[in-house]
Amino acid sequence: MAMFSQNPVLNGPNYSFAEVPRDRVDGLREHRFNPYTDNGGSTLAITGADFAIVAGDTRLTSGYSINTRYAPKVFKIGGTNSNQSDATLLLSVVGYAADGEALKERLDAVCKMYRYRHNKPMSVNACAKRLSTILYQKRFFPYYVHAILAGLDEEGKGAVYSYDPVGSYEREQCRAAGAAASLIMPFLDNQVNFKNQYQPGSGEGHALAEREKAPLPREEVEILVKDAFDSAVERHIEVGDGLQMMIITSSGIEEKLLPLKKD
Amino acid sequence: MDTLVARYSRPAAHQNETFGADQDEDLFNDMAPTLSLKFAMPPVAQPSAWLRAATDDRSNPACPIKIAHGTTTLAFRFQGGIIVATDSRATAGNWIASQTVKKVIEINNCLLGTMAGGAADCQYWLAWLGMQCRLHELRHKRRISVAAASKILANLVYQYKGMGLSMGTMCAGVTKEEGPALYYIDSDGTRLPGNLFCVGSGQTFAYGVLDAEYRYDLTEEEALALGSRSILAATHRDAYSGGFINLYHVKEDGWVKHGFSDTNPIFWKTKLEKGEFTNVTSQFERIER
Amino acid sequence: MDHRPQQWGRPRDDVYGAYDASYMQNNGPNQHTQQPIVTGTSVVAIKFKDGVVIAADNLASYGSLARFTNVKRLRTFAGTSVVGFGGDVSDMQYLDRHLNELAIDEAYTSEAGHTLNGRNLHKYLSKLLYHRRSKFDPLWNHLLVAGLDEDDKPFLAAADLLGTTFTSPSLATGFGSVLAQPIMRRYAPDEESAAKLTKEEAVDIIKECMKVLFYRDARSMDEYSIAVVTKEGVELKENEKLEKQSWAFADRIKGYGTQTV
Repeated sequence: MAMFSQNPVLNGPNYSFAEVPRDRVDGLREHRFNPYTDNGGSTLAITGADFAIVAGDTRLTSGYSINTRYAPKVFKIGGTNSNQSDATLLLSVVGYAADGEALKERLDAVCKMYRYRHNKPMSVNACAKRLSTILYQKRFFPYYVHAILAGLDEEGKGAVYSYDPVGSYEREQCRAAGAAASLIMPFLDNQVNFKNQYQPGSGEGHALAEREKAPLPREEVEILVKDAFDSAVERHIEVGDGLQMMIITSSGIEEKLLPLKKD
Repeated sequence: MDTLVARYSRPAAHQNETFGADQDEDLFNDMAPTLSLKFAMPPVAQPSAWLRAATDDRSNPACPIKIAHGTTTLAFRFQGGIIVATDSRATAGNWIASQTVKKVIEINNCLLGTMAGGAADCQYWLAWLGMQCRLHELRHKRRISVAAASKILANLVYQYKGMGLSMGTMCAGVTKEEGPALYYIDSDGTRLPGNLFCVGSGQTFAYGVLDAEYRYDLTEEEALALGSRSILAATHRDAYSGGFINLYHVKEDGWVKHGFSDTNPIFWKTKLEKGEFTNVTSQFERIER
Repeated sequence: MDHRPQQWGRPRDDVYGAYDASYMQNNGPNQHTQQPIVTGTSVVAIKFKDGVVIAADNLASYGSLARFTNVKRLRTFAGTSVVGFGGDVSDMQYLDRHLNELAIDEAYTSEAGHTLNGRNLHKYLSKLLYHRRSKFDPLWNHLLVAGLDEDDKPFLAAADLLGTTFTSPSLATGFGSVLAQPIMRRYAPDEESAAKLTKEEAVDIIKECMKVLFYRDARSMDEYSIAVVTKEGVELKENEKLEKQSWAFADRIKGYGTQTV
């Protein structure tokens, strides 16, 4: 279940599959077309008590080249019109950009059909299940993407669902995906889920009490997201240029664009 | 001849060049069951070899799509029903993709499935199995037997043999006809009834503890403790297992969940209060020799 | 399925055959049975305040042979957009026929003239390319679409053989992405600065890029096509020649091979 197959930090950018052993298996060698590529970039999503934030950088790379400094990876899904002004869901996709685009458009079409047929927007958990089956339909020719879906659940709480390329999914408090996931996820474990944080003075050694878990307020999460990306940009070549942040609350979806380092 | 003429006299723009059949289906026929058995296939001579090339991270650590493995799951029958226990770690190469995977899948309120191998394969096909079980109930006005349910799954995965599915799953349930029943099914198409199974990369460690302490007449409390202790042993020795211990008890009137608990405090509790794991020091300072 | 702990859950060699690494090779040139044969090199384009300037040279190479020297790689669509093709020339010609039929079809069916603007055309082409890559039968091109969007704002976007798409104030394919893109980014690092460029400035930048490409890209030529797309339409010149070339820098270059000076 290899969700989010990110490259381990030390492997460098996973821009190509050049490290594949070249020795061939049997006599006949057939050169083939490789239908995949990695366009780099990173995404992340965090939930709060009454909101969810999905963010992604806006750089798009092939190998060591930067194709563009602005290619959004976070999309509004399931609105009734082309500018998605009444959308209720957010989808982020990272990995192979063309597969991501295809996946986004398919899920959007499904959500729109649902909305026309049932006269109500699709709920996050329904959409989450549907996205899982869409990904699994391509089990034998996978979409090379790591998707994260976010919205507000039936109780109005923030919901984030993360996926592996073939559709296994899990609802989580936070998730980082893509090139710099291995840099960002440990930071999020510590700052959002308070992993390895203890109450000072609560005891010695094994008696130390863990820090109480509590959902973070929106302002704090926004700062966390910016910090996470600023740090990732420092240490990963495929991440940078711009930070696109979408915040979903009961009053709708807000979009923010912040600068990141462009080197 | 006519078809030939039609083929070439049609404007290119009318040839459906831009959509796949699967996407047409989404747009025009979206009422079709979403768990349908139509899969997009790579248009190559050997789809399974191609899929393996793209996804087998053991043979090729640089493969683009990593399907995680590494798991310990176990289930055993005893006088009070069936205990099902799993860890919760998902790994992709050396990367821990998640520490909170729910590897016990609730097929319905008296059937459980466990997840080892490809997470998506298990999630999808056990959800599909849940659908088949419900259809069986509606058709026959009684619950499906565990034997029948497990056979539906085994037959299904056998159809896909050689295509690259990876799942090692156990079906546990209690019915009036069978009593507590436990089956092991894997993606090779194997289906085995049994009293006790451990599945996954940590299976050997779990078997070690489970076999040593297992008796059919364990009390409920002892059985739960044994399930949990076996997973703990596996998370301790198998790097690909860890996270939380997910514990279930299947009884006649359905399953009961017994927590999703962090291994770390359980480990220290087991060591410090029961005196086990003496190979590990609990001292924080360096021991002077 | 392998049951040994290290290999657990992975495909077994005796069932699936040995791992065949050749499937996951690079997309680099000269590696595939299906590969481009007659190829065009870079296409460069930049946005300015009223439109887009796009250029490509007139050469079609056959490997390292400069085979055809009057191949026009900029194609207009419906008199409102221009597509610049890099990569395989036969696939370019297929796409050109396809687009011609599409344009004629549109002209007949739509009441109020053409409905496909630059953005629509780009979407159409990228879907086509993605569909073909999904059939493992790619159209071996990297193309740029220059035109206007629905608000008559300049539109410039790229699509490649894998269906990857992106847009930027300036774009270049092939060698141009390393040689020309830095030059263009100096003048138009972002949309705001591109929106300040005049047509003349944009044309000069593109000509400068063509010159640099001719100096350093061994598969390029000094005859080229250049098109300016604005609200008024497409102004396409197909037989331009590089001017004011200077090889004066050449004798200052040191460091290749054995040199004694």
